[in-house]
Amino acid sequence: MADYCSDDNRLNLKVVFYGPALSGKTTNLMQLHTLLMPERKGELMVLETRDDRTLFFDMLPIGLRGSSGLDLRLKLYTVPGQVQHDSTRKAVLSRADGIIFVADSLSAQQDNNAIAFGNLEENLEKVGLDIEALPLVIQFNKRDMADIVAEDVLQERWGPTPWSPLQMASAINGTGVVDTFRALLDRLYSVADNEFRLAERHGIDRAAFVDRLSAGDAHAPV
Amino acid sequence: MRQFEDDPTLTDLLQPQQVSRLESSLEALGLGRVSLTTTRHENAIPVEFNLETVAWLSGDCSQKNLRAAAELVSFILLFVAKYRLAANLHHDATEAGYEELQRKHEALKASEARYRTLSDQLQEKVKEQVETIQKAQQELYESAKTRSVGQLAAGIAHEINNPIGFMKSNLKVAGDYLDELEEKLPGDEATRDLLNDFRDLLAESQDGARRIATIVADLKTFSSIDHAEYTHCRINDLLKAAIHLLRTSYSDRDLAIDERLGELPDIQGNPARLSEAFYNVLDNAVRAIDEEGRIIVKTATDSSGNIAVVIQDNGCGIPEASRGQVFDPFYTSRPVGSGTGLGLTVARDTVRAHNGLIKLESRLNAGTRITLLLPSKH
Ligand SMILES: Nc1nc2c(ncn2[C@@H]2O[C@H](COP(=O)(O)OP(=O)(O)O)[C@@H](O)[C@H]2O)c(=O)[nH]1
Ligand SMILES: [Mg+2]
Repeated sequence: MADYCSDDNRLNLKVVFYGPALSGKTTNLMQLHTLLMPERKGELMVLETRDDRTLFFDMLPIGLRGSSGLDLRLKLYTVPGQVQHDSTRKAVLSRADGIIFVADSLSAQQDNNAIAFGNLEENLEKVGLDIEALPLVIQFNKRDMADIVAEDVLQERWGPTPWSPLQMASAINGTGVVDTFRALLDRLYSVADNEFRLAERHGIDRAAFVDRLSAGDAHAPV
Repeated sequence: MRQFEDDPTLTDLLQPQQVSRLESSLEALGLGRVSLTTTRHENAIPVEFNLETVAWLSGDCSQKNLRAAAELVSFILLFVAKYRLAANLHHDATEAGYEELQRKHEALKASEARYRTLSDQLQEKVKEQVETIQKAQQELYESAKTRSVGQLAAGIAHEINNPIGFMKSNLKVAGDYLDELEEKLPGDEATRDLLNDFRDLLAESQDGARRIATIVADLKTFSSIDHAEYTHCRINDLLKAAIHLLRTSYSDRDLAIDERLGELPDIQGNPARLSEAFYNVLDNAVRAIDEEGRIIVKTATDSSGNIAVVIQDNGCGIPEASRGQVFDPFYTSRPVGSGTGLGLTVARDTVRAHNGLIKLESRLNAGTRITLLLPSKH
C-alpha cells in the first residue's frame, strides 16, 4: 500500500519482483541498478546465502522529486523463489503497489511458473491485495537460451488475460529489463496518479514518471 | 505497526554507545572533535542512507575529510541496515508464520473435535447395528423353531388323521357288528355281560379316537401350516386352541382356566406366531400356580378395533428384581432344563412384530397379569 506522509511531503511506493526460484529476479534488479540513472538511487542491498540464492530479499531504492517538493521513492524488492520461503515472500509482498512477475522461458520450467503464479495469487489474497486492481507486468526471461517456449505461443496463451502483452527479456544480457520496468511504471502511474493526483498536485505527468524513474545512460535525465 | 521495510533512523541502526565508539574512532583518525547526531549542527554534512538523511556529521576538519568520513559512515550503516532489515523481516515472517500455525492448530483442534463426535456417533451406530443383528438372529431362531414345531405338528396331524379316520369308522362298524352278533348269540347272563363289556370298550375307544381327532385339529390350528404369513386372525379361536393344547399337555392336572372372551374383530397377523405367544404366556401362568390356582383369560376390544388379551394368574408372582429380566432371552426362573427360557421373549417379540405392546404386572405371592395389546392396523 502506497504510503504518503504529508508532513514531509513524501510518497513511498513498493514494487516486488515475484516468480519461481532462479527465474532471474535478482539479475533483473542488479541490471536495473547498473542501467538506471534516475535522479536518486540508493544502494543495492543483496541478501543472499552462500550459494547465491536469495535468502530474504534484494532491495533497490530509487526516487525523484516533484515540482511541489514531493519526495517520491520507489523501493524495488525481489522475493526468494524457493517454496520453503513462503512466509518471507508474504512479508515482502504485503503492501506492494506493483508486481513484476519474472517467469522462466525454459520449456521445462512452465510448471514452476504456474505454481509460482498460483502462489502469487494466493499470497496476494492473504495479504489483502486484489490481483485485478494491482499493476502487474509479466516478463518471460532467459530468451537467450535454447529449449524455450516460443514467444507467439506465450503471447497467445496469455492474450486473454489482463496482463497481456508479455515482456520478453534476457536479464543476464540486460535486454528487456528496462522495458519491463517501464511497462510496470506505466501501469503503476495510473493507480498512483488516481490516488495521489501526481500530475495535478505535484507536476508529475505520466511521461515524467516513467521517463525520470527509468532514466538511464541512454535516456539521460532531462 | 512498524513494518520491516520502514526507513530506519540512526537510533534504529546504532546504540548510543556504538555512536560514541564511531565518533572516537573518527577522532582517532585525526578529524578533531567529531559528532554524529540526528539533528543538524552548524557546518554538519548529511550522512545519506537509502535516499534518506539518517544523520548529520560534524568535525573540526576540512570539508573534504568530513565528506570522506560521511561516506565511510554510510558504508558502515549499509551493512548494519542490511542486518536490521533481514532481522526485522525474519521477525515479521516468523510472527506471521506463527499466527498461521496457531490458526491451523485451532482448525485442527476443531476438526479433531468433529472427528471425535463422529467417532462417538459411529460407535453408537455400531451398537445399534449389533442390537439389530442380534434381534434379527433371535427372530430367525424363533421363526425357525416355530416353523419346525409347526412342520412337526402338521406332519403328525397328517399321519394321525388317516388312521384315526379309519379307526373311528371301524369302531362304528364294529359296534354295528356287535348288534348283529347279539341277535345270533344265546341270551344268557354271562354272554350279555360279555357283550355289554365289549360295548363299553368300543364306546371308550370311540371316545378316545374322537379326542385324538380334536387334538389333531387343534394342532393344525396351532401350527397354522396353511397360513404361515399374515392373514386374518381370530384371536379368540387361537386362544381356545392354545388353551386346549395346554390342557392336553397338562392332562395330569385339572386346570382352572376361566375363559372370558369378548366379541372381537378379526385382525391381520401371523396365526402361528400369535398362537405360540399365547401358549407361552399361558404356560408361564400354569407354572406359576399350584393345585388351588386359577387362570383368567380375558379378551376385549375398543372402539378402534384394538384388541387386549389379558392372561392373569393368582400364582407365586415374579420378584421385583427379576421383573425387568423376564423378557430377556434365556432368562428363566425355573430350574435349568425345564424350558428354553425364551417363552416370554418370543411373546414380546411377536407382539412387537404386530406393532403391539406387552405389559407385565406382578405381585409376589399374589399373582401375575400379562396384557397383550394388539392394534387393529399396523
Ligand atoms: N541464460 C540466462 N541466464 C539467466 C538469465 N537471467 C538470470 N540467469 C541466470 O539464472 C540464475 C538465477 O538467477 P537469479 O537472478 O539469481 O534468479 P532468482 O532466483 O530469480 O533471483 C543465475 O545463474 C543467472 O545468471 C537470462 O536472461 N539468461
Ligand atoms: Mg534472487
